Amino acid sequence: MALFAIGLSLILVAGVVTAVGRSAAADRAYAVLCAAGCLVAGASPVAVLLGRAVPAVRFGTRLPGGDWVIAIDALSAVFVIAILGVGAAGAVFGVQYLANDRGSARRGLRVGVSHCLFAVLVVALALVVTAQAVMPFLCAWEVMAVTAYLLIMFDDEDVEVRRAGLLYLISTHTGTLALFGMFAVWTAKSADWTFGALATAAPALGGAAAIVLGLGLVGFGVKAGLVPVHFWLPPAHAAAPSHVSALMSGVVIKVGIYGLLRIALLMGRSIPAMWGWVVLSIGVVSAVLGVLWALAQHDLKRLLAYHSVENIGIILMGAGVGALGTAYGRVEIAVIGYAGAIMHTVNHALFKSLLFFGAGAVYRLTGTRDMERLGGIVRRMPATWFAFLIGSVAIIGVPPLNGFVSEWVVYQSFFRAGTESGALRLAVLGAPGLALVGGLALACFAKVGGVVFLGTPRDEQSTASGEAPRMLLGPMMVLTVACVAIGVAPGLLLDPALVVAASLGDATSLGTPAVREVMTGATRVGFLAVAVIALGIIVWLVRRALLRGRAVRTAETWSCGFTMTTPRMQYTASSFVAPLLDTFAPLSGVRTQVAESHFETHPVDLVLDGLVRPTWMWIRTTASRARLIQLGRLHVYILYIIITLLVVLTYLGMTVRP
Amino acid sequence: MGTESSFQALGTQLGALALILVIAPLVPGIAARTRAFLTGRRGSPVVQLYRDLWKHARKGAVYSTTTTPMFRLAPVAVLVTAVAATLMFPFDGRGAAVSFTGDAVALIYLLGLGRFLLVLGALDTGSSFEGMGASREVTFSSFVEPGLFLCLIVLTVVTGQLTLSGMLGPQLALRWSSAAPALLMIGASLFVLLLAENARVPVDDPNTHLELTMIHEVMVLDHGGPDLAMILYAAALKLALFAALVVAVLVPRSMVTPGAALGILVGGIVLVAVAVGIVESAIARLRLQKVPLFIAAGSALGAFGLILVLS
Repeated sequence: MALFAIGLSLILVAGVVTAVGRSAAADRAYAVLCAAGCLVAGASPVAVLLGRAVPAVRFGTRLPGGDWVIAIDALSAVFVIAILGVGAAGAVFGVQYLANDRGSARRGLRVGVSHCLFAVLVVALALVVTAQAVMPFLCAWEVMAVTAYLLIMFDDEDVEVRRAGLLYLISTHTGTLALFGMFAVWTAKSADWTFGALATAAPALGGAAAIVLGLGLVGFGVKAGLVPVHFWLPPAHAAAPSHVSALMSGVVIKVGIYGLLRIALLMGRSIPAMWGWVVLSIGVVSAVLGVLWALAQHDLKRLLAYHSVENIGIILMGAGVGALGTAYGRVEIAVIGYAGAIMHTVNHALFKSLLFFGAGAVYRLTGTRDMERLGGIVRRMPATWFAFLIGSVAIIGVPPLNGFVSEWVVYQSFFRAGTESGALRLAVLGAPGLALVGGLALACFAKVGGVVFLGTPRDEQSTASGEAPRMLLGPMMVLTVACVAIGVAPGLLLDPALVVAASLGDATSLGTPAVREVMTGATRVGFLAVAVIALGIIVWLVRRALLRGRAVRTAETWSCGFTMTTPRMQYTASSFVAPLLDTFAPLSGVRTQVAESHFETHPVDLVLDGLVRPTWMWIRTTASRARLIQLGRLHVYILYIIITLLVVLTYLGMTVRP
Repeated sequence: MGTESSFQALGTQLGALALILVIAPLVPGIAARTRAFLTGRRGSPVVQLYRDLWKHARKGAVYSTTTTPMFRLAPVAVLVTAVAATLMFPFDGRGAAVSFTGDAVALIYLLGLGRFLLVLGALDTGSSFEGMGASREVTFSSFVEPGLFLCLIVLTVVTGQLTLSGMLGPQLALRWSSAAPALLMIGASLFVLLLAENARVPVDDPNTHLELTMIHEVMVLDHGGPDLAMILYAAALKLALFAALVVAVLVPRSMVTPGAALGILVGGIVLVAVAVGIVESAIARLRLQKVPLFIAAGSALGAFGLILVLS
């Protein structure tokens, strides 16, 4: 625990250095200190996952809410590691990403403040997932929410950024309100406000458990970005600087998942089966709609943000089956489902940060995030494309990378539920849902890779000015290596995930044949990944040997005899996905304009534009009717007071007997 | 089971795998020959694909100036993933070379990896034709995947097994008497998905030379030489694999010797190829907008099968 505290302090020191230092050298010192702090602080959670107990820290306070307890258990540990890993990579990436702004006199100061806030956000996140009492949890939660808001607002000259920030701020506080409600109901039954006491009180909740879980689902669901409360997420993640988007998509929204898993853990065996079904259904809906809406996007970062909604859905599918396993007393299914959720949480943190870094590099070097204007930048940015391709293969969940490993475990929980009898086996229906998500995600990343990186530039102004500098590529390469490593050696992630899952479910489940089969399967998956990569290299070499000495020429792309092709004739981001979106209309969230020689699509958010805004406008117009009595003149208000007094006095005179 | 006999089993499995890898190019040939026969033509010989592969493999290549290494990687990926996917299929009715719980997911997702890289290779050319093919390919395959998983979960629920060898093994034979309607339905569903996933009529036409109407063929317009050979072989192997899946579901083979099981499988694959040829000569291609409906109808068969076994 001491290392954890020292590490977090180092991160905060790094933040102060960059805010006070106001120079490029200070920023570099910040990056080094921040990375070092993450490394040091990471020692404690790693020790926990290796089975060593780390003592809890308890601060006695006289404040309302009782003692503050900070402790790292298995569930906290896995989230802390993800936070620190993405945090370190993001800090390094961010220094280079904002380097141009640092040079400018007007925005230099803002860069230092932004880096400092980034450090504070990382520390707040680490505290959210290690707090073991209500008060420190909510305090860290609030610091996290507000810091993230300030980080999003980096480019606040842009009206879109201000709007996105405000939407985020309102949404996150609505969520926090639900959390207040949840803890209020729960602490009413418990001895004190520590999580331990909440767990003891869980069976006593009775009917109130449904209220607690419902409020928790809303509160944590807003943070996680579940459909239908996801609508703040795409604008906010698109508006923030890319390293902040990576941190937000990679770990900040995962804190919502952490919250859901934490309340499931505290509820223990008294969790109702209904919770599992609700979580599983929301997971399927979020995943399918998230990826479908991602397809419609033209803004690279918004597209990635919608994919976060999708992946959160996949995580919830695993968590839902986990809760169902617990509720129906099938411990091995519970542990496999939860392990899948945990693994996908970590994997998503890795590949989504990688993809956001890639998108950030593209934005920095081309000046646009509009896919319709990009194309062919692989010529200037081959290394960025390599990293982005690895991230794409990982996120669509195909072998040989880490995305497949975790989706495979989630599938296992579905298939295993299918072999059960009774209601539990209906959970098997999640499998075709996940398959649909996989197919659509493949289509979406084929579009991103093909339209942004491959082909020829669609717009002369939007060609890349060169390869991304090393400090942008470095963090990307580290994440790339992590994605490949977990793909070829799934045990690296599966073993700790099973430890965490056992803490959520039942420790005895680890020895069951089902769990052992998953572990053997994971080694085979690793073998398969190695085999595919090795076979690929062999076939590549054979192909090269075959072509050596033969006539290999270059020519123009064959266009069926037509010779006047232009870049504008290529398929675009809109046209590539048009058949899919047509098929899924009206769910696909896109407004299409077709004219004689013109076709364009405009993505709309069905919830935000179709539900939230109209509702809000209705409230506003209805409320404005009440403004008839507000005339804005003092003597009218005095008249109101006199009338009110008269009415009250008359009422009292008629009812109160002396 | 002793080490010796498990080695022997692995030997049989690898032998069966090798046989399938060798005869795969016959499958499209048989379908084409059937189609030619039924439409009153002589058609090309059944072994035509071997000749084509040999011809392409000895050629040089022409690459578009627009393309990058991605374009060259695509054929390699398609070939490797198709071969790796066959490792998990129990051709001798007993076991597969690689078998683990959830291996069916790995099989389908490996084919997904090949498709993803092939589509990127097509987009690498910057050609509107290949973009069109790529767009259609990803559209239709997104509908095929859930259908495949519906069939898989029917097999899981019926047999209680989690490996592909288990799902297509002795349990399936035992449950045929009680679950026949559902199994027939998923057999039919798998046949429809075979047509869609392997670019056959009524989804796509492998014989057309009008690029605008094609899906799979138009994606590989720019590939030539050994690259094209790899793609053609991988496509044949994938067709053989899907045909084998249809046969393995419809004909339980676990009670006969491995040799006989393999014989039944090869005979069945030939019959499926003939059936593909009959379909191709009997009906025309669907309009593109109708294709998702066709695949959905095929998948609905799987869904009905699931309702039958869950109820």
